[in-house]
Amino acid sequence: MSARELAEKFFGHVEAGEVDEILGMMTPDATVSLVPLNRHGPMAADGASYLRELARAVPDLLVRVRRLFVTADNTAVAEITIDGTQADDFLAVANQEKQVDLDQAWMLTVTPDDRISAVIAYWDQNQLYRRLGVKRLDQVTITAG
Amino acid sequence: MTTATLPSGSGTTPREDLAEATVRTFFDAYRAHDVERMVELCAEGAGFRYVPFEVWSRQRVLHGEGKVRTVGKAIWTTLIDAFPDLTNAVTSLRADPDGNVAAEACIAGTQARDFGIIACVGGRYELPYLFLFHVTVDGLIDDIVAYWDNVAWKKQLGCLEID
Repeated sequence: MSARELAEKFFGHVEAGEVDEILGMMTPDATVSLVPLNRHGPMAADGASYLRELARAVPDLLVRVRRLFVTADNTAVAEITIDGTQADDFLAVANQEKQVDLDQAWMLTVTPDDRISAVIAYWDQNQLYRRLGVKRLDQVTITAG
Repeated sequence: MTTATLPSGSGTTPREDLAEATVRTFFDAYRAHDVERMVELCAEGAGFRYVPFEVWSRQRVLHGEGKVRTVGKAIWTTLIDAFPDLTNAVTSLRADPDGNVAAEACIAGTQARDFGIIACVGGRYELPYLFLFHVTVDGLIDDIVAYWDNVAWKKQLGCLEID
């Protein structure tokens, strides 16, 4: 399977909330950096925790891959848009059933035996807070109506 | 197959090497605050999108999206004016054979003037960015996209409001 196909499969599992399937695509020591959350660690812990929370909080999640290319070191670089409706607290933000649409960029490092060994994700958490109705960064649990 | 598509000894193609060199020169120019040079490195009509850049008002939302020669140049000039010691360090650079380049960079600066809703209190920031470029076969950038986290940026500069 090419790195491109692997990345498409990865985002398909993200959309479906299939975290165990995602972990099955990883090397045992795969790492993750969720840059805006300042979470850097094992994919099996930090990555899985974020993805499970996303799946629970946004159960109708859609993931659209807008751009995808594979660099010489076999890293799949993707621009995606996640879209859905908040149905539960998410990253400490109270649920107001707000519509979420957020552009993100992900980099997946793929090994020669078609496993993902590293994941790095960038997005703007300020945009996410704005869409969820948060008004102040020091009071993310307090949302506007 | 032409020689232009043959891998070099380092495992990269000349197209990848050219694209990476262009992007490194771009960041050198940015570090030198040479906005004219940054623009020269871009093709006429090059696209520009700073994804987190949104200015919300009652009537509409302004996005940091358009052309390098209009929106990009204006944003870079305003940033350098607000952060006169603005600098960058490229932390990773990856290219593909079609001119796509992903560059992670740490950008840092000390605020000397208000920037948007971020009032100047003299704060300093350091922030990881991901830039995605597309570079033509002639070595000109024809598309720039950037991602970063405004929460980390604003918190470091003492701004806690979400506009």
